[in-house]
Amino acid sequence: MVAVLNPKAFKLPRVEKEKFITLIRLGLDYNRDQGTFSIKSYNNVEKLIETVSAILGDEVVFQQTCTRCGKNFSCSTCNYVEMCATKNLPFTCVCPQCLRDRKQFEQYLLKF
Amino acid sequence: MQRNDLLWVEKYRPKKIEDIVGNDEAKASFVEWLKNKRHTKKAVLLYGPPGVGKTALVNAAAREFGFTIIEMNASDARSEKAVNAIAKPATSYKALDNFTGETKTSGNILFLDEVDGISGNEDRGGVSAIIEIIQKSLVPIIMAANDPDIDKLRPLKKECVLIRFHQVRIPLIIALLQKICLLERVNAEFEALERIAQNSRGDVRSAVNDLQSLSEATHNLTLQETALLSSRNKDISMDETLHKYFAAKYIVEVQSLLSYSSVDYDDFLLSVSDNLPRRYTNPSELAAAYDYVSKADLYRGRIGTENWHLLKYFFNELAQAAAVNPESFKPFEFISPPIRIITLFWTKGKRNMLNNICGKIGTQCHVSHATAKHDFVPYIKLMLQQKKNSPLIEWFKFNDEEVDHLLKMGRY
Repeated sequence: MVAVLNPKAFKLPRVEKEKFITLIRLGLDYNRDQGTFSIKSYNNVEKLIETVSAILGDEVVFQQTCTRCGKNFSCSTCNYVEMCATKNLPFTCVCPQCLRDRKQFEQYLLKF
Repeated sequence: MQRNDLLWVEKYRPKKIEDIVGNDEAKASFVEWLKNKRHTKKAVLLYGPPGVGKTALVNAAAREFGFTIIEMNASDARSEKAVNAIAKPATSYKALDNFTGETKTSGNILFLDEVDGISGNEDRGGVSAIIEIIQKSLVPIIMAANDPDIDKLRPLKKECVLIRFHQVRIPLIIALLQKICLLERVNAEFEALERIAQNSRGDVRSAVNDLQSLSEATHNLTLQETALLSSRNKDISMDETLHKYFAAKYIVEVQSLLSYSSVDYDDFLLSVSDNLPRRYTNPSELAAAYDYVSKADLYRGRIGTENWHLLKYFFNELAQAAAVNPESFKPFEFISPPIRIITLFWTKGKRNMLNNICGKIGTQCHVSHATAKHDFVPYIKLMLQQKKNSPLIEWFKFNDEEVDHLLKMGRY
C-alpha cells in the first residue's frame, strides 16, 4: 500500500514519547489543536519519511503541487521520476501537462 | 561589455528571491532566519550540491533586504589572521553608510562562500576564528558549503542554523530553459531542452551554460545538436584531449573540445605547456603560443573555484595557443602526465626523508619543520660532511639512511 500525504497537514497514529521526540527532531511540527503534523525542516527529509513510513507500515509519498497551475499531481505521472533525486518528496515542481503546454507557459510568463 | 555579450548565467542571474528556481522550502527558511531569527542564532549554513542557488539566494536576499555583503570565498586566504583581518571589522560595527544619508542599508552581512574548502594547512586556525566571530558578531553571518559532513566543519555546524538545498528538479530546469529561450528568441525543440536538463543533473548553472553554447549562434536548437552533451560525462583521457587539441584546425573546434572534456584544467595547462616545443618548431610561433598559454594561466588563477564565468576566456586563450599555425601540425609523441607531476612523484621519497629529518631536528631543538629545513639542515649537513661519526647523529637519532641522505643531498 502507498500512503499519499499532504506535507502541510497529515495525521499519524498515536506514537510513544520517544518516537514522537524523534519525529520532531527530524523536522516535523505538531499542531496540537488540529492533531496534525507538518514538515518544518527538510534537512533530514529522507530519514523523516523512512520513520513516518515505518509508523504507518506503508510506503509514503507526498503530493506534488504544480507551480504553474496550482493543481496537485503525483510523481508517478512524471517522465523524469527515475532520474529525480527528490522523487516523492514534497518539493515544488511543474506538472507534465503544464511543461508541454507552450501557450499556457507564455500566459504564465505574462503574469510577471 | 554589451549586455548581449554577457553569459546567460550572468544575464539571467536571479535579482529577486522568487526568481531562484526550486528549493522553495530552503528559501523560506532562510528568509525566516534573516527576518526574525538572526538575533537568536547569528549564523546560517546553506549546504547542498553546486549550481542550486545558494550564492544566488544570498545575493538576492541582500538586495531585497538592503544588506551590504562582505564576502570571503575560496579564492581568498582564510587563515585565522586573514579571517580576523577582514571578517572581524565587518562584524564588529554597524554599516557607516547609514550616516552618510545617501543610502540607507540594513547593515553588513558577512558571507563566507565554500567554507568546506577551508584548507587544513594554508587556512590554519580559520574555522576556530570563524566560530569566535560568530559568537561575538553584531551582524548576520551566512556560510555556504557543498559538503557539510567533513570533520573540520563539525564545530562550526553547532553554531549555525542549517539549511539544506536539494538538486533542482528536471521539470523546473526545463521551465527555466523555456523562459530563457523565449526571452532570447531561441527556437528550441522540447526534447532538446529535456536532454540539457537531464544532463545537468540538477545543476541550473551548467544547464544554462549548455543552452547558451548550443543555441547562441543559430538561435535554433534541435535534439540532434545536443548529442555532444552526453560526451561530457564520459571519461575522455588526457592523451585524447591533447591529440584533438593540437590537431584542431579552428579556434571554435578547440573551445568546443575543452567545454566537453573532463580533464583537470590545471593538469591540462601543464601538459600543453610541456608539449608546445614539440608542436611548434618555429621560435616566433612558439613564443606566440606561450604568450597565449600564460594568459590562459592568468585566467585559471582568477577562476579559482568559483569564478566559472571566466572559463570562456580561459578556453579562448588556450584555443588561440593551439591555432597559432594550424597548417604546420605534424603528429608527435605527447609528454603526459605533466613533467611537474612526474617530478613530484619521483621526488616524493626524498621529500618524505627530508621531512622525517626535519621532524627529528624539530623535536630536539623545539623548532618548526620549516625552521629546521632552512636554518638547521644546511649546517648539520656541513658538520656531518666534516665529521662523519659526529655525536649529532646519536643526539638527533638519525638512522643510516637519513645520514646518507643528508650527506648526498644537493638542494633542499
